Amino acid sequence: MTRFGTIRVAGLIAVVVMAAVNLQAQAVSSGAQTIALNATLSEAITLNVSANAVNFNLTAGSANNPGSIAITATTTWTLKPNRGNVSLYAFFSNSASALNDGAGDNIPSADFQISDNGGAFAALTNTVPFGGANAGLQVANWKVVGNNKQGTRNDTLNFNINLSTIPNLPAGVYTGTLTLQVQAI
Amino acid sequence: MRTLSIAALVLVMSASLASAQAISSGAQPIALNATLAESLTVALTANAVNFTLAAGNAANPGSTPITATTSWVLKPGRTQVVVDAYFLAAATALSDGAGDNIPSSAFTISDNGGAAAPLVNTVAFGGANAGLALETIAITGANKNSKVTDAMTFNINLSTGTLPQLPAAIYTGTLNIQAQATP
Repeated sequence: MTRFGTIRVAGLIAVVVMAAVNLQAQAVSSGAQTIALNATLSEAITLNVSANAVNFNLTAGSANNPGSIAITATTTWTLKPNRGNVSLYAFFSNSASALNDGAGDNIPSADFQISDNGGAFAALTNTVPFGGANAGLQVANWKVVGNNKQGTRNDTLNFNINLSTIPNLPAGVYTGTLTLQVQAI
Repeated sequence: MRTLSIAALVLVMSASLASAQAISSGAQPIALNATLAESLTVALTANAVNFTLAAGNAANPGSTPITATTSWVLKPGRTQVVVDAYFLAAATALSDGAGDNIPSSAFTISDNGGAAAPLVNTVAFGGANAGLALETIAITGANKNSKVTDAMTFNINLSTGTLPQLPAAIYTGTLNIQAQATP
């Protein structure tokens, strides 16, 4: 065997060894096992109020008969992407007899007023998604966009009963229920 | 194929409508309690009247007229408001403290320009035969809250009975004006 021959043989052996080593390093894998993930963030909208009762000391014929306290309505929401608007409504079940004395004498919803966050007083004379016809008020309305699909909002409500339009209301204790409710669409 | 397309379209529209359903919070009730208190008040423009008497004279007018304003806010069921003028005792409407008296029958009131009338009736307040009803008002749904004014002028008639012999003196007394709603 010449010197060149020896080198060839040695080179051939090296190639064979390296090939064998490469063959031994190939990974072996199982089949893929899938795990389905299902995470639900429920849509929710809630309303909390700071108090559930308001008293009024009425003066016959007076336009200004403020409620004893303000009430803060806190709306909290987690909404689906397609919701674009949230509204806070106040309403009575019947416009003609928002408050009554049980003897046939009534204070209509048109004489009950709400001021939201220091704004002007407005009477409950509209038909809203809840309550009686012409017995409601859209107290507040706000848009829901990408950055507030989840959020919270406070509306501070002040109340007034205007008796200037019913100056002949007899003395009595007049009771009623005002309802607040929010809706997202 | 066409049927399948329509079905798919209906399905998509249904899904769309379902997602457009509004979502609402629970209703939060607020109890309202409004009290309109019952009231009945009488206010006078003045609280004193002087008389300069002339013995035996029928006309001894008071120094000033007085207007009584009666205001009320009444509960349902009230049917009448009266406004009365009265003394506590008919025989001694005014007296000099020495046994000499001017009876209520000698004291007259002209109400709102009407004829002068003596205080000789028994009214809701005061002594027997010592009063005069200035107003008797029926209360209806239209005047549960209202008011009435009575502009009164006063006179003392010293021409009758023993009054022409009334001795010189200062005679004092208290005339009351009071209102009542019934029942």
